[in-house]
Amino acid sequence: MGSEARKRARERIKEQREKEKKAAQRNKTLLVVGAAAAVVLLVVGIGYVVLSSDRGDDYEGELAQQTLQDDGSVVMGDGSVVTGDEGAEAPVVEVYADYQCPACKQFEGLNGDTLKEMAAEGEATVQYHIVSIFAQQPAPTSSNSLRAAVAGRASADHGVFVEYNDVLFENQPNSNEEGYSIDELEGWFGDLGVTDEQQAAFGERLEQEDAVITEFTEEFVPALMSAAEEEIGQENLGTMVLPDLLAWGEDNGHDTSFLDGTYTGEIIDATGTAYTRYSGENAFRGTPSVYVNGELLDNDDAMTVRGLTDTVEAAGPGQVESEPADDTDDGGGAE
Amino acid sequence: MIDAAEESPAAPGPGRSRWETVQPWLTLACRVGLAAVLITAAVTKYPPALSVEAVEAYELFPPEIAELIGYTLPLFELALALLLLIGLATRYTGIVSALLMVAFIAGILSAMARGLSIDCGCFGGGGQVDPGETTYGISIARDLGFTALGAFIAIWPRSPFALDRALGLFR
Repeated sequence: MGSEARKRARERIKEQREKEKKAAQRNKTLLVVGAAAAVVLLVVGIGYVVLSSDRGDDYEGELAQQTLQDDGSVVMGDGSVVTGDEGAEAPVVEVYADYQCPACKQFEGLNGDTLKEMAAEGEATVQYHIVSIFAQQPAPTSSNSLRAAVAGRASADHGVFVEYNDVLFENQPNSNEEGYSIDELEGWFGDLGVTDEQQAAFGERLEQEDAVITEFTEEFVPALMSAAEEEIGQENLGTMVLPDLLAWGEDNGHDTSFLDGTYTGEIIDATGTAYTRYSGENAFRGTPSVYVNGELLDNDDAMTVRGLTDTVEAAGPGQVESEPADDTDDGGGAE
Repeated sequence: MIDAAEESPAAPGPGRSRWETVQPWLTLACRVGLAAVLITAAVTKYPPALSVEAVEAYELFPPEIAELIGYTLPLFELALALLLLIGLATRYTGIVSALLMVAFIAGILSAMARGLSIDCGCFGGGGQVDPGETTYGISIARDLGFTALGAFIAIWPRSPFALDRALGLFR
């Protein structure tokens, strides 16, 4: 046994130690990574349970009475279910939505049933305003939005707006593709168990509106836009909402009389009214907009079940500002 | 990878280079900075209904998956932020954060390539916007910056105020 052998033995021991040290280090790393993964799972898991708890229950019960209003909106419930009193005792929740707007679809999916339940139990009077914030965009975004809007409006003539509203949002097309075809719209309407006369009236109304929408989105708006762009510049045009643009058009020879008496025109008017009706913090800026007694809700309140429920519970009685549409009107166009 | 962790405890005292003195503090700054970014991103995505909408706007996933991502992505961002702040598995958290940013960049690039006009939804918002209002370039540049932070942490995980140190990692 020379010093050579001893040296080799020492080296072997040293190597062995190195190996063990590395193995220990590897185990430590695995342990730490495992702990980190556990932290991630815990945070995501608990968070998911908490967030999911806000998803409301489906409402399968009887719907509150729905009443078409003279401005084309629909009021669900009258707030007098519980008290039996005439007039509104419940807060008024107003919803402005565009069928082509993805956030509106999210709102409906999340809180549509919350609203139905509150209306059925007399906790709220719900007013649906159909608008088209996309009406001045290029087709098919604009035409999809308007076709669905007039179909929603027409369904209100037959007392099935709330049901049809759900179907429209469920079937929201991609905004870059032609969707909400007349055939589809009629089919979904038929699925609601309507009579043959109702189906025929609905179909006829849609055919008429379709021609108006085509003229509006493919001729009127492009012509108006290019004229306005030339006269007042791209920059100013960008700040103009549809009613401003139409008013400018009226002054500059762009005749809107083809919209008179049509639901398309009514939707465009309703959109304009939304922009002018509120001011300051409550100003209407887009969809979905949810107001409780005229106060605009922020996203935390509108887009969570708890937020909306709490806000409505805390609100006092409200007043519906529109009047019910004339009963003798058989869908021939409220003004 | 383990080498870096082993080398670092060596060379205390005067032999220590300037880089070795400065780097742990730079990593700490990256950890805190990236955590702040992730927390902001997560919090602004609330409520989840809007976050789901932002995911759907990319048109990459079926509705169920989009909904799941909309709910869990902000939580995942929060979890990564937490790990960065406490300094647990620092190197690996850095890698995952950087990969997440790369995935975001890929998503934005794909939206760009398909001609979508959407807000990236990186910090809340999201959904369709006017074609003239897209900010893909800025979003990508920003995410590249965040990727760099994650990469820095992954390459030089040694930093003060980290749980890893107490556990004997990246000392």
